[in-house]
Amino acid sequence: MIEFDREEKRMVLKLVFYGPALSGKTTNLLRLHDLLAREGRGELMVLDTRDDRTIFFDLLPFFLVTPGGLKIKLKVYTVPGQVKHDATRKAVLQRADGVAFIADSRLSETANNYSSFENLEKNLAFVGIDIETVPLVIQFNKRDLSEIVPETDIERLWRPTGIPVFMASALQGWGVVETFGRLVELTYDAVDRKWGLREGYGLEREEFVRRLTLREQGR
Amino acid sequence: MNEDREGAGGIEYVVGAEKRLCEILGDEEIMPILRSALRAGVSRIEVRDSKGRVLWACGDPTGGGGRAREVAPLCLEGEPAGSIMVEIPSSGRLRLRDFTGLLSEVMNTMITNNLKRMLTAEIHTTVVDQTHEELIETNRRLRASESRYRELAESLDRKVQERTEELKRIHTRLIQQEKAASIGLLAAGVAHEINTPLGFISSNLNTLKRYMSRFTEMLDFYRRIVGEAGDGVAEEAAKKWSDLKLGFVVRDVGELISQSLDGAERVRRIVADLKGFSHVDDSKEDVVDLNTEIERTFSVLAHEIPEDAEIERDYGSLPGFLCDPALVCQVFLNIILNSLQAKKGGLKLHVSTRFAGGDITVAFTDNGPGIPDDIRGRIFEPFFTTKDVGEGTGLGLTVTRDIVTAYGGDIEVESRPGAGTTFLVRLPAEGGRDVEVR
Repeated sequence: MIEFDREEKRMVLKLVFYGPALSGKTTNLLRLHDLLAREGRGELMVLDTRDDRTIFFDLLPFFLVTPGGLKIKLKVYTVPGQVKHDATRKAVLQRADGVAFIADSRLSETANNYSSFENLEKNLAFVGIDIETVPLVIQFNKRDLSEIVPETDIERLWRPTGIPVFMASALQGWGVVETFGRLVELTYDAVDRKWGLREGYGLEREEFVRRLTLREQGR
Repeated sequence: MNEDREGAGGIEYVVGAEKRLCEILGDEEIMPILRSALRAGVSRIEVRDSKGRVLWACGDPTGGGGRAREVAPLCLEGEPAGSIMVEIPSSGRLRLRDFTGLLSEVMNTMITNNLKRMLTAEIHTTVVDQTHEELIETNRRLRASESRYRELAESLDRKVQERTEELKRIHTRLIQQEKAASIGLLAAGVAHEINTPLGFISSNLNTLKRYMSRFTEMLDFYRRIVGEAGDGVAEEAAKKWSDLKLGFVVRDVGELISQSLDGAERVRRIVADLKGFSHVDDSKEDVVDLNTEIERTFSVLAHEIPEDAEIERDYGSLPGFLCDPALVCQVFLNIILNSLQAKKGGLKLHVSTRFAGGDITVAFTDNGPGIPDDIRGRIFEPFFTTKDVGEGTGLGLTVTRDIVTAYGGDIEVESRPGAGTTFLVRLPAEGGRDVEVR
């Protein structure tokens, strides 16, 4: 959580899309931007890129006011996936309230997924976030391609961890809102436990998720 | 490392902290727009924050009636962050709604772009700062590890040196042992070769002695008989006896044979000592009396010891000592040689042995010139010698000390220049058995 101002009744939450290079983190944000209603969300901010690769981060902000008058801004960030931008990843990961790990389903990327997840674990520890308790979802992206890890393998591998896993094709636009929605749910639970969103500000979980995943008409 | 950072507490890398409109927009970019709006026919234009406070304004505020007003929202990351208010004269030709829409579009774009620029700068600065800090940390660790490696390298150097010295010592001892062994073998060969002829020389001499007594007896018999004969035979025989000096010969021949037998006996003893010293027959460990070994050493050195030298022996009763006798003899030999070489004439060497407190001590005290202070610490060093090149190897005392140490003992030297030198060898009577000597 970046900020929580009780006086001003204002809370700023931060979600981070993590994952190996070219796994589709920015595409996820682009799709969310396209698919979700304009109401309550800002414009997608894509910071300068090099060769179409993220070098800083992308930012998709959401804004809502709870029935109890609490203003909540939710900022969704991507990190650069390239190994060399580790310092940027650490900076962006700082004080995150939730993390979506975007894995690349292609068989050839298995090792990269693995080392990126390791990097996530390391950097979470570095910025003082407990990976056991931080809201975390995993998305296996690029399900539209061939030569991908079978879903049964993914299930078998990740089910024991209890981390929710989603299949998606950000390019085709499916699985993206579901991934985001689940992360928002988990984040709500964590923030509610700590700050009492329901009791203090009359914000129900379903409402929170609904407001943040409201689809643009016709999408 | 994380704990360090958390513990240090202060370092935070938060990118994208909330900003207010007035932090994102500046006078120099807003005011020209507001002024050009005025020129376009606007009477009053205001930019307000989310609480309605005027941040920037242009035009006549006291408009009163006759004006049309339009307000458009300004957004910051999707959140209403303020508004823009435009007033135009009712009579004006401006299409108020479109114009206001245009202005809000311009400002929202400006907000987004400025924010983007600020975020870029922020993340850049943050990453640079963090990278810098990490570099400093990395540098610190590298320095630490470098100095650790330097230490290691230095101690390695020292260890290599120590090890080299040790190897050198062992090597020289091996050479010495090798030498001793070959001398031993040679001695054994010579002893064996000498023993056989020596055996029949002694035996023959004894037989000859017996035969001679028979000859002498027979001669006496003849002499008595002839001495009684007439016709001048007796006189002739007596003259012949006298010419041939047989009276002296008969007396001397026994002496000659006795001396030869003595000589043979001495040769036998020397050979035996040589064999004993080289211990070619029993190079294994054995329980020996060190007093006997010292005596054996003296007898081997007999020809080296000048006639005017006085050797005082003060032997105590010693328990048996388990050792390789060849090695302990070498210890005594080296010390005695040292004294012999230090004092050419008028040497007095006092040797005493004692057993007390489980230790056997052997002390050799000479009346030599003593050892100068500045070299006393070095006499046990390998290759250290005060003798001319070719005269001494500089290994004698080194080997001596190594052997003594190997038996769990030690060797001390007491010396004052001009007042002689004492070598004190201490050997634990029971100790050193588990120490490998070779």
